[in-house]
Amino acid sequence: MASVRRSRGESHFTRYLILGAWAFFCLAPVLWFLSIGLRPRVEIITPQPIYWPTFSLDAWHMIWEDWPMAKYLRNSVLAIIGSVLIDLVLAIPAAYSLSRYQYRGRDDIGFYILSTRMMAPAIVAIPIFFLFRNFGLLDTIWALMLIYAAINLSVVTWIIRSYMLDIPKELEDAARTDGASDLRILWEIIIPAILPGIITASVIAMIFAINEFLFTLLIASTPNAYTMSVALANFTGGSDGVIYNAIALVAFLAFLPVFLVVVAIQKHLSRGLTMGAVKG
Amino acid sequence: MARIELSGIQKRWGAAWGVRDVNIDIADEEFVVFLGPSGCGKTTTMRMIAGLEDPTEGDVRMDGQLMNDIDARDRDVAMVFQGYALYPNMTVYENIRFPLRMRGVPKEQHDDMVRRAAAMAELSDYLDRKPAALSGGQRQRAALARAIVREPQVFLMDEPLSNLDAKLRQAMRVQIKHIQRELKITTVYVTHDQIEAMTLADRIVIMQSGLIQQIGTPDEIYNNPANTFVAGFIGAPPMNLISGSLSGGTFTAEGVSVSGLRTDLSGRVTLGIRPEDCSLSETDAHLTGLVYGVEPTGDITYLTMKTGDKLFEVKAGRDFRAALDTPMSVAFDPDRICLFDFETGERLG
Ligand SMILES: Nc1ncnc2c1ncn2[C@@H]1O[C@H](COP(=O)(O)OP(=O)(O)OP(=O)(O)O)[C@@H](O)[C@H]1O
Ligand SMILES: [Mg+2]
Repeated sequence: MASVRRSRGESHFTRYLILGAWAFFCLAPVLWFLSIGLRPRVEIITPQPIYWPTFSLDAWHMIWEDWPMAKYLRNSVLAIIGSVLIDLVLAIPAAYSLSRYQYRGRDDIGFYILSTRMMAPAIVAIPIFFLFRNFGLLDTIWALMLIYAAINLSVVTWIIRSYMLDIPKELEDAARTDGASDLRILWEIIIPAILPGIITASVIAMIFAINEFLFTLLIASTPNAYTMSVALANFTGGSDGVIYNAIALVAFLAFLPVFLVVVAIQKHLSRGLTMGAVKG
Repeated sequence: MARIELSGIQKRWGAAWGVRDVNIDIADEEFVVFLGPSGCGKTTTMRMIAGLEDPTEGDVRMDGQLMNDIDARDRDVAMVFQGYALYPNMTVYENIRFPLRMRGVPKEQHDDMVRRAAAMAELSDYLDRKPAALSGGQRQRAALARAIVREPQVFLMDEPLSNLDAKLRQAMRVQIKHIQRELKITTVYVTHDQIEAMTLADRIVIMQSGLIQQIGTPDEIYNNPANTFVAGFIGAPPMNLISGSLSGGTFTAEGVSVSGLRTDLSGRVTLGIRPEDCSLSETDAHLTGLVYGVEPTGDITYLTMKTGDKLFEVKAGRDFRAALDTPMSVAFDPDRICLFDFETGERLG
């Protein structure tokens, strides 16, 4: 007995060792970033290795005081939240239709929605630029919301659809015989039942949106519509050269909220990702 | 509160048949039980009455009104689903209350109605639970409570008691019958359990492969089966069916000889006799064979006999015991003998 228990303990230990090593491997760049962000600029560009780094909030003060980081942050948050809301409003009914109704071309429509994801973004960059210019939306967060929503719509629809496919049809039949209208069924039966899927899809959309760079750069030309990801690019040019510690700090700040959300909902997230992949 | 007529009902999915041809007129306030083997189309028929499935052919009428194009939510029916279909995000209380909310029943009546339905289903202690935290039987009772919470035109119950233990099933059976009589609601009920069918039904509908085999009161079905399928399906153990030949009023098969039957028929026929209409007898033996098995159940003893290569069931007295392979003779009650066409299986005469 004792030996059995010990060997199980050892295998646990080995398992944690491997997992710990893997976690360190994945998180090391993040910690590296944080350490760069919290050190003075000169120290980062010295060619000699430094064994005992100096702590400094230079970059912290710089991004908030010399740069309108609060505004960028606000733009990011508003554009992302807005885009996720747009996605949900469009994707939930679309997913419902794709998962529930039989009609000609349903699967083609489903695939078409997904295929928008397969296209290289650069192909549509120029037309989109002119489109938004004609609507007078250039350099606004409204444009960012629309763009992010468009980019993520397919993924959000697809994930929510896969959750809806899991709901037994009998549940809706029951609600219908109980006298519920389609809208009631969607609102009172379906949406509560797929809430984990909706949260998962939203988080995934947020992750894509916060990292979006190309279209944001295209649309945003002033701090009016700059987001965190584009703000990073501001630290690379100009007379000051590349400001590594500010870049690192902003990157870390952009990473942190997503990381925390993902940790909080990781159980649902892995299900959402694999389901989207397998069932889609 | 509603008469239901199904005429020429068919349901196909591409080449797959659900229901081939169903015609039945269910009277107002009647309790009709559908009985048949798995996959024979019971659920499908019920779903067409509920409006959840459109018939490929044929008409569904309620109180004379054609219902084919009327949506499920506008047909005033309450259904217990075979798979329960409880709303997973709602508590048992909210589940039972849902139809009241949807049908616009005044709010102040909800609590009373929900609690009364829950009490009938013996669920009062579980009202705050979510369906996931209930046992199979409790879920089934929640589904039943949700159906009986209001007074619809029609009750549709798809095997509502299949998952309960014998004692609870008996209690619920009485409850259901009582509610149905009290509220006078037309009820269509599906079951695999013959006792349930016999005790509950005003009329039983026997189905097989999408076709109705017989419609009749429990007595009619039991005593006068329309064909060998019904004869072999109803009763536990079911009717003995022996194929042999008839000539001059005498039926003969291996180990079997019955005279005094009708003389207007001759040729290959199937003779049917229920196990309880046979008696062990030394004289007037109609059938002889060897004891193959003896199964005492307490109140009666099932005796299985072997004649030639066929098995034959007899219900013997509670004290009957016999060693295997003892030769035995059996007499049939001549008034209870049924004859069926050998080819078609249809009842003769
Ligand atoms: N959506 C469908 N598509 C194709 N075939 C179907 C569909 N629904 C039911 N069927 C078929 O129709 C037939 C009747 O099914 P139904 O569910 O009515 O059987 P049932 O009598 O209720 O059986 P059980 O006692 O097992 O519940 C079955 O052969 C089934 O495979
Ligand atoms: Mg069924």
